[in-house]
Amino acid sequence: MKAREILLKLGIILLVMGLVASFPGAAVAKTIRVGGIMDMTGATSDVGKDYALGMAEAFNYFNEKGGINGKKIKYTYFDYGYRIPEALTKYTLLKRLRCVAIEGWGTGDTEALSPTVTKDKIPYVSASYSAHLTDPKKTPYNLFFSSDYSTNARACLTAWYDKIWKPKNLKRKPRFACCYMFASPYCSAAIKAIKDQAKLLGFEIGPDQDVSLFALDTKSQILALKKFKPDVVWHGNTVMSVAATLRDAYSLGLGASWIIDNWGFNEYLPKLAGKAAEGAIGATPCAFFGQKSDMMDVVVASAKKYNPSLPLEKRTICTIQAWCDALILWEAMKRADKAGDLTGEGILKKGFETFRNFHIGLGASDVTYTTTDHRPAPGCMVQQYKNGKFVRLEYVNLKKRWPQKWEKEWLGW
Amino acid sequence: MKRKWSPIKAVMVGIIGIVFLAGMVGCATTQGGGTASVSSIKTPTIKLVDVQLAHYWGWWYFSKKVKPTKGKAGNYGAPMDLAFVFEITNPNPFPIQLDGFKFTVAFEEFDVNTINAFETMWIPAGKTNQLAVHGMFDARTSLLSLLVTGGFKLKAKKMNVWQQLEKWWTGITTFSFPITVKEGAATFHAGDKTIVASFGGKFPQ
Repeated sequence: MKAREILLKLGIILLVMGLVASFPGAAVAKTIRVGGIMDMTGATSDVGKDYALGMAEAFNYFNEKGGINGKKIKYTYFDYGYRIPEALTKYTLLKRLRCVAIEGWGTGDTEALSPTVTKDKIPYVSASYSAHLTDPKKTPYNLFFSSDYSTNARACLTAWYDKIWKPKNLKRKPRFACCYMFASPYCSAAIKAIKDQAKLLGFEIGPDQDVSLFALDTKSQILALKKFKPDVVWHGNTVMSVAATLRDAYSLGLGASWIIDNWGFNEYLPKLAGKAAEGAIGATPCAFFGQKSDMMDVVVASAKKYNPSLPLEKRTICTIQAWCDALILWEAMKRADKAGDLTGEGILKKGFETFRNFHIGLGASDVTYTTTDHRPAPGCMVQQYKNGKFVRLEYVNLKKRWPQKWEKEWLGW
Repeated sequence: MKRKWSPIKAVMVGIIGIVFLAGMVGCATTQGGGTASVSSIKTPTIKLVDVQLAHYWGWWYFSKKVKPTKGKAGNYGAPMDLAFVFEITNPNPFPIQLDGFKFTVAFEEFDVNTINAFETMWIPAGKTNQLAVHGMFDARTSLLSLLVTGGFKLKAKKMNVWQQLEKWWTGITTFSFPITVKEGAATFHAGDKTIVASFGGKFPQ
């Protein structure tokens, strides 16, 4: 080959490389975009705002620690005000911005988006822990760190039965009822499972009470419950309406124990419900804000650093839940990247589905995802608010206690 | 027919390629987080200078019981677009990159919105940039937000949520009630350093 041909080919190669590098996408190829769809203003903003702040703090921390094996993460999030149509449009925008994965929020929008994220192969890590999202045959790209709502509900009822009811040694069936917003996909997600658990444990089941997420007055529902005389009542709402219900139950002397899903059981419950919160029991998939656990020092330091004017007393377990969901996605992305496949499909198959008892820290259960089962944890820590503090009541491991049902019956609902 | 290139032409093409490559790699580096190697960043100052009623549709609310002329029935409240104008001053002798801007808005003592802007911008050394961040409010979302975060406060004060909303949606044209920007946090980068500035403000001042 003549020297001039060699020079010519070398020149063309360099020119092509220069032109390729001149495209903006290539110029910023070392930045990986992750999307967020959060509720900071809508019907669940009582818990959603703190979650959204925690999520942004987590991604800032990940970048401090080198992002994804040296690639910076650009976390882009929007408030959707808990409006499902807006969540759908924000998803379209995030997809257009080439997000490799999305951190989402509510049950209604997450379930509505599930077929789309499956088609698009975009991992969608949600703050909805609906059990409907745990069967990879139906919803392979939906993930979350926490025990699902059905597991939480079954665990709460079982813990109450073990620790509160059995020691009383009464010779009758315990009576059980549910309060939740009927029209809300989140509030109603665990109702079928908890009633199934109530039957399994031999409870008598009373009439459901419809309590809006925005309820400030629940006296009529409490009066209806009084006719049934429940021993224990499940509340499936978020913290504000849970507090309103507990206050009315206390003032009207209902006399039942309360078991509450995780979004209704946080640091604000005693602040809002006062004495009525004493004895309340709830699902806690991770530590409360500031509660002793590994990684907590990092979370608290990041809260101070990235939201310096927000007092730490205002931060809650919702921040911790956000961090847990962020940490699993970060780990999955790092694993996929190391395997040379930082795509949506790679993040799922070479990331999440390689987790075997992955230790998150922050008081969360170690998580496992397989190709046939996306339930992250086999049980849930149940805590009680007692004498001004949240204390451990029981860790209920459903998989160990009912292995047949766990394997063959309970997946996906 | 095969076209012949002279050695000079081939060398020229090569040089152009090298210049392109070097230039674009340089661009990629700067977009990533700054040109300067800095030992520390002085915290920029952020001042709320104005709140503008950017778009306004008056005060109304339709519940889902009302049959619409077109489209689907639903719970719809009047929207309102407010622009929050900030002045951001860089006290450093080098440019800094704004990369994340978030704040909460309260009408009187009630938090009604949390707004974030994720677009990046560079602020030259010693200069002040203006940034307008729009926040969309609608009476339906504000109703829900008010109930779930301020419901007990309203109840304690024996205040009616609808009267409260109407007061804000009609009073906004003259800014007859205080609007507070709080819990503000802005993230800046220069070189490999990051700093977060907190800010707040009231309008009218």
